[in-house]
Amino acid sequence: MADTAVRTARPRPRPPLPRPGTGTVVRAGVAAALLLFALFGLPQLLSLYYIDSMTQVAVWSMAALGLGVLVGRVGLVSLGQVAVLAIGAWVAARLLFATTQPYPLVLVEAGLITMLIGTLIGLPALRLRGLYLALITLMLAGAITVVLATANFPNGGHGFFGYNGSLVHIPPIRRPGLAGTDPAYFRYSVVVAALMFLLVLAHIRTRPGRAWAAMRQSEPAALAAGINTWFYKLWALALASFITGVAGGVLAGADHYLYSIDFPTYYSITLLAVVLMGGAYSLWGALVAGLLWQLLPSLLQNWGVSADWLTILFGVGVLQVLTTAPAGLADQVPKDLARLGRLLRGLAPRRTP
Amino acid sequence: MPSWPDFEPFIVSGLALGGVYALSGVGMVVLYQATGVVYLAFGAVGAMGALIAWSLINDAHAPGWVGWLVCVAFGAVVTLGYGMVFGPALAKRDPLVKAVATLGLTLVLFGLMDLLWTTNGGQSRAITLPTDGGGFMIGQIQVNWTQVIGLGAGIAITVVTGAFLRYTKLGTAMRAMANDREITATLGVPVRRVEAAAWLGCGVLAGVAGILLADLVALDATTLTFLVISSLAAALIARLRSIVLTFAAAIVIGLVHDLLTPITSLTNYRDMTPFVLAAVALLVLSRGRVLSRSREEM
Amino acid sequence: MVGKRKHTSGVRWTLTAVAVAGILAAAGCGSSGTSSSTPSSSGTKAPSTGAVSTSQCGTKPGVTATGTPIPLGVIVTNQPGTSFTDISNMAAAYFACVNANGGIKGHPIKYYIETEQTNPAQIAADAKQLVQTDHVVGIVGNTSIIECSIDSSYWQKLGYDIIDSGIAPECYSTPNSAAVNMGPRYSSDGAVQYALSQHVSKIVFDQSNVPGTGYIAAGPSALAAAAHVPITQLTENVPISDADSVAIKEVDDAGPNGAVVLNFTPPEALVILQAAQKLGLEDRVKLWGCSTPCNTDFLATSLGPKWNSKLFVNAELTPPDVTTTSTMMLYQAILKQYGKAVSGGIGSFSQMGFTEAEIAVHALETINGPYTVASVNAAFRGVTNFNTGMLCQAWTYGTYPMHIPNNEDYTVTPDNGKMVTAQGCTQISSVDPQIKAYRAAAGTAPLAG
Repeated sequence: MADTAVRTARPRPRPPLPRPGTGTVVRAGVAAALLLFALFGLPQLLSLYYIDSMTQVAVWSMAALGLGVLVGRVGLVSLGQVAVLAIGAWVAARLLFATTQPYPLVLVEAGLITMLIGTLIGLPALRLRGLYLALITLMLAGAITVVLATANFPNGGHGFFGYNGSLVHIPPIRRPGLAGTDPAYFRYSVVVAALMFLLVLAHIRTRPGRAWAAMRQSEPAALAAGINTWFYKLWALALASFITGVAGGVLAGADHYLYSIDFPTYYSITLLAVVLMGGAYSLWGALVAGLLWQLLPSLLQNWGVSADWLTILFGVGVLQVLTTAPAGLADQVPKDLARLGRLLRGLAPRRTP
Repeated sequence: MPSWPDFEPFIVSGLALGGVYALSGVGMVVLYQATGVVYLAFGAVGAMGALIAWSLINDAHAPGWVGWLVCVAFGAVVTLGYGMVFGPALAKRDPLVKAVATLGLTLVLFGLMDLLWTTNGGQSRAITLPTDGGGFMIGQIQVNWTQVIGLGAGIAITVVTGAFLRYTKLGTAMRAMANDREITATLGVPVRRVEAAAWLGCGVLAGVAGILLADLVALDATTLTFLVISSLAAALIARLRSIVLTFAAAIVIGLVHDLLTPITSLTNYRDMTPFVLAAVALLVLSRGRVLSRSREEM
Repeated sequence: MVGKRKHTSGVRWTLTAVAVAGILAAAGCGSSGTSSSTPSSSGTKAPSTGAVSTSQCGTKPGVTATGTPIPLGVIVTNQPGTSFTDISNMAAAYFACVNANGGIKGHPIKYYIETEQTNPAQIAADAKQLVQTDHVVGIVGNTSIIECSIDSSYWQKLGYDIIDSGIAPECYSTPNSAAVNMGPRYSSDGAVQYALSQHVSKIVFDQSNVPGTGYIAAGPSALAAAAHVPITQLTENVPISDADSVAIKEVDDAGPNGAVVLNFTPPEALVILQAAQKLGLEDRVKLWGCSTPCNTDFLATSLGPKWNSKLFVNAELTPPDVTTTSTMMLYQAILKQYGKAVSGGIGSFSQMGFTEAEIAVHALETINGPYTVASVNAAFRGVTNFNTGMLCQAWTYGTYPMHIPNNEDYTVTPDNGKMVTAQGCTQISSVDPQIKAYRAAAGTAPLAG
């Protein structure tokens, strides 16, 4: 009796764990290789001029990532993301001047406070859809820009706003103790950016990501399936605001000095343009957007080409993306390369047996 | 708190400013009613036309009216070109997509303007109209004829295009097309021609507004291009539906903005007026109403 | 469906090709003023204008310098609405002239120009580019809204003493920056000082809301307080879209016996003044004042005769129209022959560029031995009582904790389309604490001969 009981109680053989597909492994490998190259290779190869540019690429890739979550995953077009970045930078600068907290803590706090502000302001806007939502974000961004222009960024002064307009020597915003030099801070910002990308990846692979995907397919169907669309939209908004807030914190340390003239309202429009060009849906697209926005101007400056050509390029890029390649460069370039490959193979002389 | 005589002159300047906002705001709502596109490049097109006019008047010594005509023609051609190329390509897409596409045009024009009319360290450009000189006094303030024309143009556009869209066959066809292109086409309306007429008319509006705004505000590419953001507030208060309401909202925004000027605690925040009023109107007053016109997502 | 695909992909390739072609073409042509290259000099010398030949700029007329170049660098703002490239382009023109006429003991000057769009990261990166990649030994001509704040400690650490046209506070409050101009604060001091000298009963000081407003406002506040005249401090967000309300506000506050003093870039100041004229307000105050950016003939022409002896503009540099010294003639000759890239022509921007280059060349010529960071910057610091021909006073760098070497100015007023002198060289009052501190350290420079 005991034997049979034991025999029947033998645990069923477990099914093998699902092996990650080759595509995922390749992509993860490439990403890891790129990350290692960025951390250890780039500082050796690039001059300080380009290291500074790449730090900005890291910052703005994060901002593009946040916007990509909203636009690509949930379909909420925000024309005010640079204002959110400015808020994050403001909060971080204020904390860095007022307290002696360690840098990572300040970044997290900046992210959380920006998340709170972004969600509170965005909450009533969620009732709107599509065009009206986008335009109301533009209005909110305009309002925030005016407030920042009047309140100014903290520069070591006292009081809530921390701004002393009469200073003859403005103190710089501090950097983390370990990452004071430009190459070290570049590595620091790359690590923070990588963490933000992983955070978004974690969301995409779990429940929020599936909910967002369902909502993208068809919102009524998602509602019918019992998904609380309003809640998941809010979650996307919170996530995007958090990431952008952290990006603002990194920007504060990168720039050392912050001015409201560096966050004009129309930057939000150009940010949307590069996010669309890079590809709002893919994480690689955020990196492409950062490179377009920050590395290209540095290159053009060195080649003696006016930055206006870049503005024109971004305009053309938006038109191109919206009419022909909605998934952006990150999706289109591999496809184009594959097409090119096929074309070349077709041109190669055929060998007859 | 300032006293009434302190506020008086700002009523006049506020009305003038409201007229400025109304020109772009009404223009954009008219375009939206006729083509379904929020033409955010409205300011950029007008600005570039004004700069071309300036070049003709200052460098080529052309008479003033030639410059203004070229400005209006430029507005018409660029807008028509954009509409004919990108109108059909984006016809089935969400109004949001169509609006963002016009942002692409805005960026292209903005970059071109700075490239072609470089910022010169000491000099600035200006458009002057013959109506700048004369005027009349209201209280202590002189009102010049250009400001009157600006306000008048806003009223005229509101009334004429409102009537046109509602009562004429072409106008009705435009509204139908903006609503649903496919069905309108199946009903036998010559879609391409109506579309062309809509875009052409809108381009003319942009050119006219461009010259007036270059005179009333400043001939500066950045200012004129992104003035649409403030004018958009008026359009949003009217929920992009009513031309008359857009005009009224623009006047209110201009008045409130300027009336805040003498109040020292608020004066630095007065530039927020359009945005705050739009946000309040959309978010607070439309509680309970879901505003959407979405079809295909981006 | 296939046909549509073809159409859209055709459109896509066309658009991409257009964009790429545009960038390649632009890269090929480049835009003058932002390329870092030896400034080109014309092959044949144009006939000299007036009685001065451009060959006077160098020590060996007609001899092209061919030794190892001396690299100098500059960072200037160039963005929509604000462009200081005229300053760097004029300095480049001066260096081109020197290079064509003997160079510095046979060495040509290689001038690296970096432009920026008021982005702190970009400005910091530009400084590193100049030092690490271009290996410049001196910085001459910096003109930027915020560069002094951003890079001051970097330059100090590396031992660079900058000759610049200052704007930010750090251009005037650090040991290693000496400006040829007076900057917004001291130029506004000059304008307010003139208004006070006309016995106005109130001052309304309005300035653009760019970084440093409090620092700038402190000067006029001190002057007004010492004269027991009330002063209202205002700021406006730029670009201004409602000039009418700004003009009304200023006039109402100042009152009929008051003065409105503006500190804006030329386009914005012009917009306010023109609005005041359109509203019929220009006579509602006793006088109008403006800091140096208003000092252009262009402004005088645009404003018209109603402003004759109504608007008083502080002029940091000697008015070019009324001066016929050999230096002024040389400036105009160099501008004509080598200054094709200077779009503003004769005016304070090109004057500043000329003066900075002039000082640098004067300093470089005193160096015997190799041209290193140490030797070049020691030479810059050593410039003492140099008569530039463009300023009221002789110009000194020296070793002081701060530098305001140009602290004496003219006042000009429009007169039927031109700016004419209304008051000759007048010292900025020591009531401004920064001026007082500088004079305590450096004394008062003699008037230029």
